[in-house]
Amino acid sequence: MTQKTKTLLERRYSMLGLLLIAPTVLVFCAVIVYPLVSAIYLSLFKIFTPTLEGTWVGLDNYRTLLAKGEFWTSLRTNLIWTVGTLTLQIIFGVGMALVLHQNIWFRSLARSLILFPYFISTVVAVLVWKWLFNDLYGILNHLMMSAGLIDWPLDYLGTMPNAMISVILVGAWKYFPFVVIAVLARLQTIPDHLYEAARIDGAGPIARFFDVTLPQLREVLVVIIMLRAIWDFKEFDLIFLLTGGGPVTSTQTLPLLVYKEAFALNQMGMASAYAVIMMLIMLVFMIIYIRRTRSEDS
Amino acid sequence: MADVVFSSVQKQFGSFMAVDNLNLDIQQGEFISLLGPSGCGKTTTLRMLAGLEFPTGGEIKIGDRVVNDVPPGERDIAMVFQSYALYPHMSVGQNISYPLKKRRVPKAERAAMMAKTAEMLQLTPLLDRKPKELSGGQQQRVALGRALVRDPKVFLLDEPLSNLDAKLRGHMRTELIELHQRLGRTMVYVTHDQLEAMTMSDRIAVMEGGKLQQFAPPKDVYREPANRFVASFIGTPGMNIVDGALRHEGGRWIFEAPGISVGTQNLGPETRPGNAAMGIRPEGLSFGEGPIEGIVQLVEQTGHENIVVVLVGTDMRLTGRTAADRVWRAGESVQLSIDSNQAHFFEDGPNGIRLNRPLSSPGNQEAAQ
Ligand SMILES: Nc1ncnc2c1ncn2[C@@H]1O[C@H](COP(=O)(O)OP(=O)(O)O)[C@@H](O)[C@H]1O
Ligand SMILES: [Mg+2]
Repeated sequence: MTQKTKTLLERRYSMLGLLLIAPTVLVFCAVIVYPLVSAIYLSLFKIFTPTLEGTWVGLDNYRTLLAKGEFWTSLRTNLIWTVGTLTLQIIFGVGMALVLHQNIWFRSLARSLILFPYFISTVVAVLVWKWLFNDLYGILNHLMMSAGLIDWPLDYLGTMPNAMISVILVGAWKYFPFVVIAVLARLQTIPDHLYEAARIDGAGPIARFFDVTLPQLREVLVVIIMLRAIWDFKEFDLIFLLTGGGPVTSTQTLPLLVYKEAFALNQMGMASAYAVIMMLIMLVFMIIYIRRTRSEDS
Repeated sequence: MADVVFSSVQKQFGSFMAVDNLNLDIQQGEFISLLGPSGCGKTTTLRMLAGLEFPTGGEIKIGDRVVNDVPPGERDIAMVFQSYALYPHMSVGQNISYPLKKRRVPKAERAAMMAKTAEMLQLTPLLDRKPKELSGGQQQRVALGRALVRDPKVFLLDEPLSNLDAKLRGHMRTELIELHQRLGRTMVYVTHDQLEAMTMSDRIAVMEGGKLQQFAPPKDVYREPANRFVASFIGTPGMNIVDGALRHEGGRWIFEAPGISVGTQNLGPETRPGNAAMGIRPEGLSFGEGPIEGIVQLVEQTGHENIVVVLVGTDMRLTGRTAADRVWRAGESVQLSIDSNQAHFFEDGPNGIRLNRPLSSPGNQEAAQ
């Protein structure tokens, strides 16, 4: 008897549960599943962008792109950009978080200022940087020359490797505040007693960093690195606005290539195939990220 | 030989005086408790000794060395934290040997010392576990192990048992006493639990409001509390304290309060007539024929005795103890008497000093038995 009423009640609860998550599931399908499936579908056609008319080509797009040098060059560029900018973001971000965690008098002011690059619109930030980098009127060249570091104005965005270095640096500047905030939040939860115990156990400041702070930051760093890796890998506007992929194609990452295929070469099918490949690459990071966060919960 | 000395130590946080003019002389090998209510400055005192907090005045010595400016790692002390403060990513074994590692003890020696400590604390089967895979009692032992492993001059313990359940706490108490006897090291133990302080310590430093109230063996703190605060803080159920006045009459002192009058000859020469307080422990009250009339208000049965609260007059409550087989009814009228030899007398005020002559003094034989 009891058993039966209980299962009835349970059934009613699960119905209610379904009802409650239904809106979310619908929205999720509309904005994530549909575009995803549609991208995979489009990648099997040869499509002319302005008319969106196309013919079935099967896996031809994939065969072509994997055989093309441009794909592999862009992938390489993409990895250089991602690894470069992410490394700098982590180093500056953790360093700055450690500084801001100290009891310095300008701490709260600095904490708000540090967020500035992250909140500012990419377009605005890039325009400002382009002015700073400008080889004729740019303040950067002016300062470097007056400091005697260079004799001649440098072309920061028009030559290699300068362009790649500039893009990586601007990316690091723009996104390191995210690392600062995430790491700082974690730092504040490390119990003081651990540091005190370490001091009594004879650990100096460096030993305390490696034996107390770093192990406590490990989990959060994995999550930050995975998230930022995904976000940096697919970064479009910053690079597009700063160099447009140039000089020639030296800073053309995969997202820029997708854009070029879709809207400059009008090959929507090919562009979709690139996008699907990109997604597969990012899937690796996503799986690691999900594994990580799940094991943390258990 | 004095092992730890506090001379006029004070600690101020902003304008708040957390520890005020503290003087303590701790002998080598002694087990000392810092006892007092929450917020009285016990932890601050311990942390100053550890070097985690710096005194704003006075001098702290460990051995013959003034340590005011010595960092914690060089003071030859070890500390057990209330929260245990185990390194969460290290195994039990790594936690215990960490202080040795930081002191560059060679690896083989380190392993041997760690194994010995683990053996002593019955941690050997747990050496590869992480702290979060241990029970509270086991974590506590690891924290002890990390302190014991390098055999420091002084052990500092900040309420180490307060996160354990009652039964385990009792067990750990005996273990700590045994440990102290075996190692013969100086131990400074912070607690707000008088039972811990009374059962474990050679001497107890009772603190209140940042000030040392009394520093004496448990027996003396109980039998000869230095002042009214100590008298009321030590003992469960607490001492009955009655406000009243003292007057001198016919070569002896008479204490009077509404419904109560007690005579004594055992007060010291500094006693003055006027407002005062009398303290009497529950065992100093006897029921039956007596000059004090009251009404039973509350009875607590502990199993081996009954704690009886009696209302005397309109608002005075006296607590007494009787045998468990004596049956009480709330509302019942009783008569009480006070054993004047067991009565304590205090100057007026919350920290009024005790006026009784010392138990050992010659003019005081009747109380000394
Ligand atoms: N870092 C600090 N800053 C300000 N006040 C403090 C600090 N540490 C302790 N205090 C104050 O000093 C008093 C004594 O604290 P503590 O020594 O921790 O007491 P307890 O006897 O409970 O261990 C408390 O009133 C506490 O609020
Ligand atoms: Mg405390």
